[in-house]
Amino acid sequence: MNLLNRRSMLKAAGTSAAASNMAAVELLSQPAMADELARSGKNVILLWLAGGASQLETWDPKPGRPTGGPFAKIQTSLPGVEISELLPKMSTRLDETAIIRSLNTKIADHGQGYFLMDRGRRAEPGIEYPHLGAILAHELGQIDSKVPDYVSMYTSTEGRRQGSAGFLGARYNPMFLTDKMIPEDIQLPESISDTDHRDRAALRKTLSQRFAQRMNHAGVGSHENAYERVRGLMASDYLFDIDREPTAMRDAYGPTQFGQQCLVARRLVEAGVPFVKVARAWWDSHGQNFETHRELCADLDHCMSTLLDDLKQRGMLETTLVITLGEFGRTPKINGSLGRDHFANAWSCTLSGCGIRGGTVFGKTDADGQTVTEGEMNAGDLFATIFSALGISPDKEYMVGSRPIPISDFGSEPCSEVLS
Amino acid sequence: MRSPIFLSFALSVLLNAAARTEASDPQTLADRIDHHINERLRAEGVSPAAIVADETFLRRVTLDLAGRIPTTTERTNFLSQKEDEANSQVRRRGLVEKLIHSPDYAYHTRNQLDILLLLRSEHNATWREYLLEATNENRGWDQMFREIFQPEDTLSGDVRPVSYLKKQLNDLDALTNGASVKWLGVNIACAKCHDHPLVDDWTQDHYYGMTSFFKRTFRTKKGFLSERFEGLPKYTDIYGDEQQPGLMFLTGQKVDIPPLEIDEPALKKLQEAIKKSEQDDKSDPPPRPDFRPRSEFVELALRDEKNRFFAKNLVNRTWARLFGRGLVHPLDQLHSQNPASHPELLEELASGVVESGYDVRHLTQAIVLSKAYARAGNDTETQACPPDLFAVSVPRPLAPRQLSLSLRIAGQNPVKLQEKSDPDSWSVEREKLEKGSEAIAKKLLIPNDGFQIPVTEALWFSNNLSLQNDLLRPSNDRLVGYLKKLEADDEVVSAAFASVLSRTPDAAEKSAIQQYFAERGDRREEALKQVVWALLATPEFRFNH
Repeated sequence: MNLLNRRSMLKAAGTSAAASNMAAVELLSQPAMADELARSGKNVILLWLAGGASQLETWDPKPGRPTGGPFAKIQTSLPGVEISELLPKMSTRLDETAIIRSLNTKIADHGQGYFLMDRGRRAEPGIEYPHLGAILAHELGQIDSKVPDYVSMYTSTEGRRQGSAGFLGARYNPMFLTDKMIPEDIQLPESISDTDHRDRAALRKTLSQRFAQRMNHAGVGSHENAYERVRGLMASDYLFDIDREPTAMRDAYGPTQFGQQCLVARRLVEAGVPFVKVARAWWDSHGQNFETHRELCADLDHCMSTLLDDLKQRGMLETTLVITLGEFGRTPKINGSLGRDHFANAWSCTLSGCGIRGGTVFGKTDADGQTVTEGEMNAGDLFATIFSALGISPDKEYMVGSRPIPISDFGSEPCSEVLS
Repeated sequence: MRSPIFLSFALSVLLNAAARTEASDPQTLADRIDHHINERLRAEGVSPAAIVADETFLRRVTLDLAGRIPTTTERTNFLSQKEDEANSQVRRRGLVEKLIHSPDYAYHTRNQLDILLLLRSEHNATWREYLLEATNENRGWDQMFREIFQPEDTLSGDVRPVSYLKKQLNDLDALTNGASVKWLGVNIACAKCHDHPLVDDWTQDHYYGMTSFFKRTFRTKKGFLSERFEGLPKYTDIYGDEQQPGLMFLTGQKVDIPPLEIDEPALKKLQEAIKKSEQDDKSDPPPRPDFRPRSEFVELALRDEKNRFFAKNLVNRTWARLFGRGLVHPLDQLHSQNPASHPELLEELASGVVESGYDVRHLTQAIVLSKAYARAGNDTETQACPPDLFAVSVPRPLAPRQLSLSLRIAGQNPVKLQEKSDPDSWSVEREKLEKGSEAIAKKLLIPNDGFQIPVTEALWFSNNLSLQNDLLRPSNDRLVGYLKKLEADDEVVSAAFASVLSRTPDAAEKSAIQQYFAERGDRREEALKQVVWALLATPEFRFNH
């Protein structure tokens, strides 16, 4: 819908809406909502390549060109599809994966690029947009979930931003793991026995009930909802404990932190956590791009392929979408320090599993990788594609005050070619 | 160089000071508030919720004026005043008068302003010092507005308020929208890309007209705030035509830009000086232009004779802080298609606040003295009424500092706190409490409209050792240590309720806790900690109600 049509439509519909002052986004306390939320059984793992991975050393190699760098390309199991030799394991595992080579997101600054690829739209003063994890926790999670509905692992300090659930509300903020492999405050403190901890919670509830009932207020309700979830979340602490996995499985994921976090991610989605983000830093290779990518791509290749194998073997890949994405790609031009700089005009990402037409390569860049020549997509289009893959209508709207906000940015379109 | 702006500034300070000495009795204004609120209630045929009891009022108004729960000493003093000598209304007036002139009020107002203006993102202590100094002397809101938007012009050469602009200078849109939303109650962000789709008042010209006031402001490499001699934003409208609205305020009023009366070589020299100041971290700020769009913005905002924005926004935000919603709601939608729930009241309060010299304390005092402010929140019948009738009170989540200060006060041995209750000791104690509550405050989110308590907060309360090992410590300076020395369960329960929830427990609550103690005869100290914890983790503690 073009802007003018949209506006006149809003104008016709909107005046009365503005006057009626609809307050919240959606009311948490409505039981009907909870029923609707219990529906999906779909999950997402986002492998976040923080700092911006090079498309030329991963999914869109250009060997032999001035921009190509020293690495070769290898034939994948898909006829006619070649990727960088730095991803040998992934080259044989593209059956459930779609490669998108035509992202043009324009913003090549870490802060704003992160914002854009985290929220699928640019920042706008006066409104706080939620990030992908919060949207998907909201869309795919259950209101009274016994497990976390949004876990974000970001151990490195470089580029770490917690983000916010914005207008969706703090209910959808992530459990944010920065130091340890397990969320803060999820384990029973030594100073209290499990029985006393449980009884204490019951006493709290007794002392709260009358107030909560008489006040009959959504905010007070969210307080009680948060405390109701505490014991359940504490009981999910084992999900973060990879020692409970067989040795063979731990060995398969390997000893790197990224590998271990991918294993935690798989354990979480298996238990019903709708959205898990695992950040791997720091791809920002302004100098020594090739050494950096030799090391990081090996980790990515191993962990991503193990994760996909594991999900597939467990029959979970059909309901789990794995997204491999960063804030931007890197310049085709190789700078004086053998580095590649920030570049957002023609870069790549992948989508695997749930709702994705595997074995697809979508979009093209020119011979040197400077521009997109076919199938250009922006951040909004990518988000619309992600929502569609998960069965969420990309046209869905949230009401924020009196203003309708589409779940994916105005004017964005899902890419049907990569959807199954 | 003393500009006319400077003179008019000095003059307005004097006039405001004169006006303020004649400020009307806050109770008179409170009665006017009730007049308007009751008139609409009658028109709608709604009978409002009852007025709350003294102990509920004490907690509510102490949280709102002092930013913390009352101490047990304050509670005893307030409740034990003789009934016969003065009725409840007189006692409440006395309480409000005392609180609003206390250092707590200045601290709390400072903390609220820090959240409103910079979302507590400025870590430079001088910003908060500046705000505290201003709230301590109850500086007029207009004067603070000038100091914050024209920090170069302040009488004292005070550079501390410069944080506000500096924090936002790298983003003209954020700066423009922040100025409109926070200071004028208007959100025009929607009009950046097209005329506002829902609100006829806001066109793209308004948006770019407003950005024009800030477009020339920049920060030198050395860190000074400065303004250029030229530059106006342009935009391309939806028909593809280029537009340049010039300096245009929300009211549609435009400011003519006087021609630059310098010759080409002088201008070139100036531009070089500006460029140098932007690149060289040793370079002093370039000369200031005589015509400064940012100052024009301040003048227009304050000279708006119909009080359409600046004064109404102040009233509306102050009201919302005390009622949980504005007379105009949402707070950034002050425009013709979103009328106030009580338009005459808003007009009256806005013109009153201008006459008082933008005296926020006076306005606040009047609002909390109104009957509308003192309504109960637990009246299930009235809860179903439209919220803009203000027939019933609405629970409001505590701000991070309110909650962390309240935790610290509740967790202390009440006798120890009493020893610090004389005004001099309390000033020292309050400063200590501010510092001591910082770490917990940082962990807590700033509540927004429709705030939800995040589960991470419930987990922190339930399992974090800093709460267990500090606030719940059984030592002599803590509440748990004090309760340990009390003999009878009955006494313990009453003392714990007084410290934490500022009220008397009822029979059911007493018996629930006594039973809890009985089951833990072998570990009384643990049981005490658990009971105090359970009270601290109730929504009754988490909210102001």
